[in-house]
Amino acid sequence: MKPFDFARPETIEDAVAMLDARPAGHANGSALLAGGTDLLTLMKADLSAPDRLIDIKRLAELDNRIEEDEEGLTIGALVTLAQLEEDPRVTALYPALAEASSLAATPQLRHMATIGGNLLQRPRCWYFRNPHVHCWLKGGDECQARQGENQRHAIFDISPCVAVHPSDPATALLALDATVRLRGAAGERELPIADFFAPPTAERCTETIIRGDELIVAVRLPAAQGWRSTYLKAMDRKVWAFALVGVAAALRVDEGRVIDARLALGGVAPIPWRAEAAERLLAGSDISAEVISHAAEAALDGAQPLAKNAYKILLAKALVRRALMALSG
Amino acid sequence: MPEIRVKPKQGENGTELELIEDEGVRAWAPDADLQIVGQPHPRLEGREKVTGRARYASDVRLPGQLYARVLRSPYPHARIVSVDIGKAEQAPGVRAVIHAGNVPRIPWYEEGVLFESTVRFVGDEIAAVAAESEEQAEDALRLIEVEYEPLPFVSTIEEALAPDAPWVHDDGNIAGEPKTYERGDPDAGLRDADVTIDAAYSTASALHNAFESHGCTTFWDGDSLTLWDSTQAIFVIREQVAEKLGLPEHRVRVVKHHMGGGFGAKQIAWKHDVIASLLSRQAGRPVQLMLDREAENLAAGNRNPTRQRVRLGARRDGTLTAIVADIHQASGAYRTGGEASNVSGTYQTLYNCPNVRTEQVAVYTNTGPAVAFRAPGHVEAAFALEQAMDELARTLEMDPVKLRRQNYSEVDQLEGKPFTLPEGLRLSYDRVADAFGWGAEKPPPSSESKRRGVGFAAHDWSGGTGHPPGYAWIELNADGTADVITGTQDIGTGTRTGLAQVAAEELGLPLDCIAFRLGDTATGPYSPVSSGSATQATIGPAVRAAAAEVKAQLLEVASSVLEVGADRLSVRAGRILVDGDEERSIAVSAVTEKIRPHTLQGRGARGPNPEDKTIRTFGAQCVELEVDIETGEIDRLRIAAAHDCGRIVNPTLVDSQVVGGITQGVGFALTEERTVDPRLGLVLNANLEEYHVPTVADAPAIEHARVGVPDSEANSTGAKGIGEPPLIPTAPAIANAVYDAIGIRFREGPLSRARVVAALAEQRAQGEGSRP
Repeated sequence: MKPFDFARPETIEDAVAMLDARPAGHANGSALLAGGTDLLTLMKADLSAPDRLIDIKRLAELDNRIEEDEEGLTIGALVTLAQLEEDPRVTALYPALAEASSLAATPQLRHMATIGGNLLQRPRCWYFRNPHVHCWLKGGDECQARQGENQRHAIFDISPCVAVHPSDPATALLALDATVRLRGAAGERELPIADFFAPPTAERCTETIIRGDELIVAVRLPAAQGWRSTYLKAMDRKVWAFALVGVAAALRVDEGRVIDARLALGGVAPIPWRAEAAERLLAGSDISAEVISHAAEAALDGAQPLAKNAYKILLAKALVRRALMALSG
Repeated sequence: MPEIRVKPKQGENGTELELIEDEGVRAWAPDADLQIVGQPHPRLEGREKVTGRARYASDVRLPGQLYARVLRSPYPHARIVSVDIGKAEQAPGVRAVIHAGNVPRIPWYEEGVLFESTVRFVGDEIAAVAAESEEQAEDALRLIEVEYEPLPFVSTIEEALAPDAPWVHDDGNIAGEPKTYERGDPDAGLRDADVTIDAAYSTASALHNAFESHGCTTFWDGDSLTLWDSTQAIFVIREQVAEKLGLPEHRVRVVKHHMGGGFGAKQIAWKHDVIASLLSRQAGRPVQLMLDREAENLAAGNRNPTRQRVRLGARRDGTLTAIVADIHQASGAYRTGGEASNVSGTYQTLYNCPNVRTEQVAVYTNTGPAVAFRAPGHVEAAFALEQAMDELARTLEMDPVKLRRQNYSEVDQLEGKPFTLPEGLRLSYDRVADAFGWGAEKPPPSSESKRRGVGFAAHDWSGGTGHPPGYAWIELNADGTADVITGTQDIGTGTRTGLAQVAAEELGLPLDCIAFRLGDTATGPYSPVSSGSATQATIGPAVRAAAAEVKAQLLEVASSVLEVGADRLSVRAGRILVDGDEERSIAVSAVTEKIRPHTLQGRGARGPNPEDKTIRTFGAQCVELEVDIETGEIDRLRIAAAHDCGRIVNPTLVDSQVVGGITQGVGFALTEERTVDPRLGLVLNANLEEYHVPTVADAPAIEHARVGVPDSEANSTGAKGIGEPPLIPTAPAIANAVYDAIGIRFREGPLSRARVVAALAEQRAQGEGSRP
């Protein structure tokens, strides 16, 4: 690991001033340290070699609380997954988020990992993480997973990179229509989480559009009246594994009729994947096994499996059906 | 003095001599009234372990200790053009750097040396650094400049056997002579069969991942070397390290007090043992070299992947007429001498069959070297044979347990000798079927999308027999306590406790009067490697013999004290009892105090195993599970197990082995599979994130139906081993249960979610799932 300086700024403004404007993925300059559950693994594998760590874990201005008002819920960037899993407002109004948080990693990790860091974590692709592989996402010419061992990789081909986004909460937040509040040198901005994530491109080899001089201040959830939601996750063991497929579904149903639907998939693309065709099909329909079955088919429309991951399409359809059945019951 | 005979025998290097030592005790009768042996005593070292005071190899801290890291090849096959350590030597904190250019050409593996000029797998050792901290050592590795000339490579058995395959070694990709075996006329047996099965199976490379990773701390005192090593074979390490370094054995001391598991991978000296010793000598300081997970998963052994074509022939009534197995196994880049993977064995011995042929071919691949892994060979073979037997039972429309009973063997068909406990396997069938409720109606699945199935598998195992010689010393102190000293080691199974119970039983002392010392070549007499589930069965009789010798002396002294003939005396629970005169019993310490400062000392040697019979361990498991036909999830596992391990010295310790072995078997069945990229030759999951061992949540409900029949012909304690067997039948029993549930036969392991979901889809597409 490269030696680095360690800074503990007093204010968000000071923290932002220590960052630089390059895209976060390229930053050899400064890196933000909160829970550190991803950053330290990146540094140990030489995937990140910052000159300076900026410790924001104890930054008084940055919130580690969950606040409720008429417009919804504001989740401070330093809120841990363990808090999300247990908070009675989250479990009652946004069960998909509580369930996704509880299914991530292990209790030890969930007590360290913050929601801000969770959204910014890098892929777990075993080529990306291997220090001997200079993959496309690390600036190389080729995505080795495309022709390689891609059983855990993407089925939606939207980037030269076929790694999947590892976050369970991100999938849930997408279905819950969350927004992400960012603070940077140019001030504060808030954008839908659907716009926050973007597939890696050659110019920006990361999974989000956050700028190098920005940090996440909070995640906000709209009021959830009338909504029901759930998150289902398929792993190849019972716990402590990244999702083979994750499905977050949120429905607003009135007397058997779907008023509104949001459906997001994890483990299928470099970013959390919104299944809009399925949402459109569901909206306004009278919920039934047939409708649900059609929605599951629509959710996987356009999927192009790699050599070893066609099973994910079937698995995702099964989880979509199951999630929608659970919400419509 | 016990009687010693010298007996010539044929060994690897011509005629060798075997010392036959009389243990001087008769086997405990199967119904002997034992007080301490057979009791569920908690581990003697339990408190030390749970309070963190137990010291492992990585806990050693010596004044001036350095930390070492190894530079490993990033290529699966490459010629090393040059190595430049100049910058690394100048790096902060660095105290020694070694590579091929500055150490002797120490012979290693078959024809190789410590630091090869051609590296043959990703992880092959190239150089090593010792520095003041692990981080400094790691940083210095990056400053070592190596020029490689990459060479073509092979990652799999299929690639290695291809006609135009690149060669791993100069003489090709076949590792050693194929092992062939034949009895009777297998071709006729297949030809004349009413029913035949012909199926190809494959098993993945599993990675050991013991809790405690590999490594050692080394220290030179003048020209004497001490290694605190994570090993299951302190005397093997002493012999091998002494040989590699040209030292006499008495100048090498190997210490291992506590062990976080080895599973077979820690029974040989690995390169890191000698690398640490060389760094330590060069730096003049103690050196600790612990492998991280990735390093150990690359370079410190793995279970060999196999390809097995199995043919069975049977008559209509289920009687086997032929067993034929064509086996390929991948040895990795080198044969370590510790692989011992006899995949053929169980085909030859588990079932009564006059016509058997096996051929076992080992191939080199550019992957890390294979090494023994808990029941090596048998785990792989059971996955194939026990599924083939299930396929045969289905074809015959016969109960799979009945099919196995139909082909029962009471004799060792290789040697023509009877087993010491010929009913061992039958008892296992009876107990496990009874405990599980085999044949009872299956309860309905827990939900609509689930299918429930049950499966059965049996096993035999050539281990568990004990492998002499092995020695023990006992000193009965003047206060009536005893030190029991052996040179064995506790691989993590609770060896201290099981052996101390034998000592306490024979001495007639309470267990808390026994101090049991092991794990140090400098203080205890020779004991063999803790492999082959052998330790209790090897050292137990030696301990008992030593205790019997001490007891005889004690009774002699007591005879003088009590003025009663020694033949009327016995000892129990720390008291000398006089036959027919209970009033005169006195404490053992009252006798020993009379002779203070004299002590009573005994020496015990493990005598040979019987010549006219074969010792073997057996077992069987039943599995119930559910498969979700929509999501492919395998869930609600319930497993019953019965294993013949002779007398159960400590039920708690035996239960632990059954639970641990089955849980490891669940991993082998469902998730554990080393993944190698065939284009890059890289292991992609040499870590605990991507390589999925079972968690507590994955552990099934386990019922251990103890067999517990003493095998009094095996050795004087009647106890056999249990360490390895519980892993053997788990995976095939699970695969058989999955077939029962969904009618899909998985001949390629593990039964990962990806494979199960894909197979279910294929079944749906064909629309003809042969639902049982």
